[in-house]
Amino acid sequence: MSKPKVAFFDFTSCEGCQLSILNLETELLDLLEIIDIVEFREAMSEKSPVFDIAVIEGSYSRDSDLKRLKKIRETASVVVALGACAHIGGINALRNSQNKEDLMKKVYPDNPFLYETNEKALPISGAIKVDAFVPGCPVDVKEFVRVVKNLVLGKDPGLPTYPVCVECKLNENVCVYELGKTCLGPVVRAGCNAVCTSSGGVCIGCRGLIPNPNINSQKDIMEKYGLDMKRIIDSVNMFMTEDAKGVQ
Amino acid sequence: MTEVLEIQSTKDNVMLGLQKALSEYSIAALTRKGGKVLFDYVDSVDKIELEYTPTVLSPKKFFFPQEEVILEYTLEGKVNTKIEYKKTVLFGVRPCDITGIQILDEAFSESNGDPNYLTKRENSVIIGIDCKSVCDENAFCYKVASQNPEKGFDIMLRDLGNDYAMTIATRKGEVFAEEYFSTFKPDYEALHEFRVQKERAFEEAGGPFEELENLPAIFSENQFHPIWDSEAERCLSCGSCIMVCPTCYCFDVIDELSLSMKIGDRLRRWDACMLRSFAEVSGGENFREEVKNRVKHRINRKFNFLMLKHGRSVCVGCGRCVRSCLADISPVTIVDALTKTSKEMRLEEKNNDLYLPEKAYIRKIESFTDKEKFFELEMENGKSLGAQPGQFILLSIFGIGEAAISVSSPPSFGDRFEIVVRAVGDVTNKLHTLTEGDFVFIRGPFGHGFDENILRKMKGKHLLFIAGGIGYVPLRSLINLTLKQTDLYKKISILYGCKTPEDRMYKDELAYISTLGGNVELLETVDKGDDTWLKNTGVITTLIPQVDFDPEETIAVVCGPPVMYKFVTKTLNDHGIPNSSIYVSLERRMKCGVGKCGHCQIDDIYVCQDGPVFRFSDIEDKEEAL
Repeated sequence: MSKPKVAFFDFTSCEGCQLSILNLETELLDLLEIIDIVEFREAMSEKSPVFDIAVIEGSYSRDSDLKRLKKIRETASVVVALGACAHIGGINALRNSQNKEDLMKKVYPDNPFLYETNEKALPISGAIKVDAFVPGCPVDVKEFVRVVKNLVLGKDPGLPTYPVCVECKLNENVCVYELGKTCLGPVVRAGCNAVCTSSGGVCIGCRGLIPNPNINSQKDIMEKYGLDMKRIIDSVNMFMTEDAKGVQ
Repeated sequence: MTEVLEIQSTKDNVMLGLQKALSEYSIAALTRKGGKVLFDYVDSVDKIELEYTPTVLSPKKFFFPQEEVILEYTLEGKVNTKIEYKKTVLFGVRPCDITGIQILDEAFSESNGDPNYLTKRENSVIIGIDCKSVCDENAFCYKVASQNPEKGFDIMLRDLGNDYAMTIATRKGEVFAEEYFSTFKPDYEALHEFRVQKERAFEEAGGPFEELENLPAIFSENQFHPIWDSEAERCLSCGSCIMVCPTCYCFDVIDELSLSMKIGDRLRRWDACMLRSFAEVSGGENFREEVKNRVKHRINRKFNFLMLKHGRSVCVGCGRCVRSCLADISPVTIVDALTKTSKEMRLEEKNNDLYLPEKAYIRKIESFTDKEKFFELEMENGKSLGAQPGQFILLSIFGIGEAAISVSSPPSFGDRFEIVVRAVGDVTNKLHTLTEGDFVFIRGPFGHGFDENILRKMKGKHLLFIAGGIGYVPLRSLINLTLKQTDLYKKISILYGCKTPEDRMYKDELAYISTLGGNVELLETVDKGDDTWLKNTGVITTLIPQVDFDPEETIAVVCGPPVMYKFVTKTLNDHGIPNSSIYVSLERRMKCGVGKCGHCQIDDIYVCQDGPVFRFSDIEDKEEAL
């Protein structure tokens, strides 16, 4: 079996997910036993016009992205959205509820019209068909390796469809609600091994919603624990574009 | 070990003994780790927390870990089972969790014993610490009677101040105590005092669920209770309740190939029926897609399905699911609501005019024989009787009394129904004097007739009806029902025997049936014929060899005078038809029709409710049945 050619691309993002992959170090060498990385701007200067798997970090937020994304889609047989920005819009999508002109003036007060941007920052699936995704901000590199392995094996990527609560309980954490905090764990996709709640934080939803989340009950619970509606909406919107709520 | 051994030791000595045991065993106990209190391995006994704080996970994880490798393999096809275990003392397990372990022991050892669980279990010594009071407001062990386990541990400690009283339950516990503890005779008075105080504390918390023993039945009759909707509406399907449950033991099996793509593990990992993907198959079909069904399934496993299997509530009342549920879904709320409804239903039935009959008019009378008359009745309220084939009514004539009578018309007979009555008692004698247009009073229909299940089993089969005398009447509704759809059955054979030709019921109808042909046959016999009788003479059993049937494909339905059953069932058995393929309709004295008055009782069954139709194999062992 010849090794599949894998190319990495980045759009609107901090590139932290790709950095996480480079941090794999020893495992990265093992990974290179099963795939050929033919393009990876953060790690090498070579580029390749042909590749089998395209791994894309970042959200689709400029008109000029569309052409590039379409070209990638035409070349790759499998497109993988890497990280929250590519998967659900990510932090970039925080601006989606605001007026574009006002926002540009706020961010670039001197030259607001020098920069190109769309009305909204969207997940990659807003531009092209995505075959698989690795959720998270940043991605869980173990999960990235598992997804790549499963794609090479021709298996389902194997992402959990259950919420963070499952992993949080397996780690024997006392529920953060009992500690007076609020958390999106009950409606957000697991796979991160509940890293935030296990380290004294709360889940802020970087991995997107589970299929069929009970949002009404989640709102009731957050309200019961003292959050007003605005803060509930803010917390749910932190990572997700309204358009990406249904992305699974 | 047959006898429970009671001994005592000082607390210091117990701790010393445990410290010594560390050279041979790993010790897992309640301990503090990064701000959490949990069961974990300790490297020194001074890290053991003796004061109990409810933990997130129960100690079941030491025998059934969150994730474990069960197979190791290479892609070339080498494969080995894998069972990881270490000799462990599990110290300080509380009664609820011990009851949980007892249930898991049963679940993992029945039929195919699970090697991974059982090996870990065999290599463990469980030392419990008894609770003197209920640990917090969420625990409800006392509601499900799990606070005093008799199995699931080797040694149970009871805090007597400076000492621990020890109950040794197993040989393993005895050996361990001998090796590591120096013990002396227990202070029975102090031990008694401990038990009294415990009992008092748990009683004050509240007794067991009002109808604990009866919960499987209560859950079964409340599958459509509105509480399932209201709980499901709040349920997040987050799976927390299952993850923390000490008696949930479902798991998923996953292959993980190493990055070398050459070797791999097969893992099992806790799974949860509350998670949406639990019952999803490849292709996307989900057999438990609705949250409501998942909530129902989870709670029914604890109080119904598995309770029936284990003979006790499989919920041990540890309170972990209640503590972990953000949506405040609690088994206690559900059990209470269902119990309340069931009680109300029972009360309602009592108020629901159980003994109040309704008026019915006699529309048609026909004499069948000297003693037997046919009546067609119509309810005054215009309702159809809605009887199943084989059911009966109680017919009353005020001033005389009430009598149980079979309904002989098939279910779809419109607003009217038929009975055939022999004048043998006060009520039936009086009935025979009434004329068309008179009224009687009716209760019912009652009893368990030929229900949907039985009718389904009959489809495609050769039906062999065997009736004697007036026994044709209780079978007639089923016979007529099947004659309407003869193509549903392989063949329909009606065997009918009477004393004389005169004694036959529904004579015109019999004449009609004998002309039907096709897959329907009617064989008749009489004990004593007359000049006009051209058919068989002899007892009913002589007809059976005349029918061509494949015993594997035949279902026999028998009704007649008591003496007939013994001979007919024996002859059927002799011809290869097992008792499980024979249905009988029994007659008994009945006064209430609703399983209360006691007249129709045969051992533990009430003919009026469990019958009158029975599968013969269900009652063959009952001496009084025939």
